[in-house]
Amino acid sequence: MADESIGGNNRTTAFVISARRHTLQKAAQKVGEGLLLGIASFVAIVVLFIFYFVARDAVPFFQLRGFTEFFTSTNWYPADHPAGFGALAIIYGSLMVTLGSALIAVPMGVAAAVCLSDILPFSIRQYAKPVIEMLAAIPSVAFGFFALVVLAPLLQNNGGPMLMWAWWILVTPFLLLGILVVADLLTTNVKDPNRRQQLYVILLTLFGLISVFLLYKVGTLLYAIQILTGTNALNVSIILSFMALPTIVSVSEDALQAVGRDIREGSYALGATRAETIIKTILPAASSGILAAVILGIMRALGETMVVWMASGNSSHIPEPWFNYLEAIRTLTATIAGDMGEADQVTGSARYHVLFAMGLLLLVISFISNLVSERIVVRQRKTLSGQ
Amino acid sequence: MNIGTRKILDRSFTALGIGSIAVMAMALLIVLVPIVTKGIGAVFFTGTVEHRKMLLHEFKRGGGDDLTSEIASSNRYRSKVYDMLTRFDAELEQMEPEKKREFKEKYTQVRTALQALLGPLPGDPEPMLTRFKYGATRWEKAEEKAHDLLYESKWDNSNPDVMAKEYFVSRALDFQGTSLVQLFPYVRENLDHMLVPKFTVYWGFITDSSIDSHFFGGIWPEIQGTFFLAIGAMLFAFPLGVVAAVYFTEYAKPGFFNSMLRSANSTLAGVPSIVFGMFGLAFFINTLKVSESKSVLAGALTLAIMILPTIIRAAEEAILAVPKTYREASLSLGSTKWNTIATVILPAALPGILTGGVISLGRAAGETAPIIFTAAVSVGSAIGLADVFSSPTPALSWNIYNLASEHEAASQIRHVQYGMVLALVTIVLLLNLSAIVLRARISKKLKG
Repeated sequence: MADESIGGNNRTTAFVISARRHTLQKAAQKVGEGLLLGIASFVAIVVLFIFYFVARDAVPFFQLRGFTEFFTSTNWYPADHPAGFGALAIIYGSLMVTLGSALIAVPMGVAAAVCLSDILPFSIRQYAKPVIEMLAAIPSVAFGFFALVVLAPLLQNNGGPMLMWAWWILVTPFLLLGILVVADLLTTNVKDPNRRQQLYVILLTLFGLISVFLLYKVGTLLYAIQILTGTNALNVSIILSFMALPTIVSVSEDALQAVGRDIREGSYALGATRAETIIKTILPAASSGILAAVILGIMRALGETMVVWMASGNSSHIPEPWFNYLEAIRTLTATIAGDMGEADQVTGSARYHVLFAMGLLLLVISFISNLVSERIVVRQRKTLSGQ
Repeated sequence: MNIGTRKILDRSFTALGIGSIAVMAMALLIVLVPIVTKGIGAVFFTGTVEHRKMLLHEFKRGGGDDLTSEIASSNRYRSKVYDMLTRFDAELEQMEPEKKREFKEKYTQVRTALQALLGPLPGDPEPMLTRFKYGATRWEKAEEKAHDLLYESKWDNSNPDVMAKEYFVSRALDFQGTSLVQLFPYVRENLDHMLVPKFTVYWGFITDSSIDSHFFGGIWPEIQGTFFLAIGAMLFAFPLGVVAAVYFTEYAKPGFFNSMLRSANSTLAGVPSIVFGMFGLAFFINTLKVSESKSVLAGALTLAIMILPTIIRAAEEAILAVPKTYREASLSLGSTKWNTIATVILPAALPGILTGGVISLGRAAGETAPIIFTAAVSVGSAIGLADVFSSPTPALSWNIYNLASEHEAASQIRHVQYGMVLALVTIVLLLNLSAIVLRARISKKLKG
């Protein structure tokens, strides 16, 4: 103010005003930045809130009933008197479908990612990517509906023949390859080319006969299987694997792309074929990134609700024998979704809190696996850039 | 290993990769084909005269001379059936008590099957539920019901080792020697005269409300609810996400605090969707009490925190993809950092940010688990815009589950379920497709 009253020198005034404007601007910028920081930390606050509010309702369950019953008993009768809150069979069901879907999705996903990053020309890759994105975009309830209305009756009515065909289609090429490789390896040490040829042919026919017998025998065994219910762990595993695939493919493709050209070219220069280059150099170099992809994919399968709720049969028992994927099971997510509607009426009871305990369990597992996969990715980036 | 084997291994490795991509494409097709082909059947189908009667009575649509003459002619053919029933009623009265009892049960089954096919029979009391007021409205259902009328289904339990097999016995055999035996061949031959099947395009499936828990009518309340929830979630999440992305890309300095924030973001992305639902229930409804019980608002808030990480990531990528030269040019002209962001960077990154937004919108529309406890009800009419703060809404995703798994006659209304799934998948895939097209355009533009 004092400067203005002196007046006279326009230049000074201008300078002073701009200085003040400058401080104001600085202050505004600081405030703005603080505001931005506040909004950016909103996500962290939400994460903390999720943990707090789920834990707040989960802790009373453990206070009421302790840990032992929840983790070791399969006695799940939350609505009965006396109530049973043994969630072992439910946890087991979750693990079972997660493992089943991983068994299908991991080999397929890694193979597809390798194919996308190293094998296919760019022109075809352009069309493959939207397919994967669309697979990721289909709502889970649509997959669940498909599993319940289309796949379940199919499995129930034609389960045996379907299993037999799946066995034949999946195993025949691998058996064939295995025979070729084994016969080749066994004959490499034979010096005389004629004898080697003979031995090779003999071994091929021998292994061929054995594998045809194996294919046929197991095929007939599978054909005879009667699937009692189509809503079972196998059905859910298949559908979940298709939901986990997009994650696995896109994250492992990123990891494969991060492996530099020099490694690939070095391997080719040593005379390796493309498959050898990929298997012996690229995959090991990208292994940690692929592991992160697998963890993320598995988490999608473990946390999925609608498919398992609709198509797993929701029967809380450990299958007999323990690896029987053709029986109905029940998972953590489906239990939360299914029981909350009734338990909500009795807020405060163990029956309500046990569901939050399950939610907390899921939350902790997903939190840990996220941290682990993040660490892995960071470490891989460091090693690769260090080389 | 000799070179031949190595070559074969190399080829088969390539085949394995291509094979798995092909399997994924196949899986997409296998899932989509039944949904599309059967879902279309909810709108385009062969409707019977019962469908047109239903439209006239429940929605006051259609009618006119055509329908009157159709009803008259179908009634002419039906009256013979009704005559046969009255004749048999009389015959039944004449019978000895033992024989009467024997026939009575089977006759009741026949009447029930006829009611399902043609609607209430003369002399029946007015049904309470709308579903019993009309016969089979769709021709393929009518054929099923006619089959139920003509044949009795029985289960073969003779072999305890295999599952029981279904087989059919003609009902006409049960009524041998009575007047009712003519009914069966008559119904078989005159089914189309009694029901007048016609190719129907029922756009009302999209725009009508449902009647009697989805037995008739359309899915408009669900579509509207889905839009309310998805757009509500975007209203919260989109501005927040973009601002957070600006902070992460332009202001955040590497350090412990910011890496924590990033970790929080990826943790949030990995939280199982059902846990979001529990959180929404425990926080928004039970603690904050944004509404008395379930409401669109609570559901939209829950969905918003679920899609927030996706939006942040997409916006970050879009901002990082803006060429450095833009930024430098703006700064060299003397504009401030904030000015540069607001006038140069954000407009350049906008298409990319929108792409992420559109994909998140699709995700919010398709998610079910977060809205089960926070927003969704299974039955209900479309709600007004003013009610979103207090009342729950039906939504496509939840109602698909509900109709397929919990409806008391789920197998009767498969066409409605397929139609709903198709509607949801179409909404989500259209959003994603537009995102893909948008992105292709951007990459073309950035390449120049």
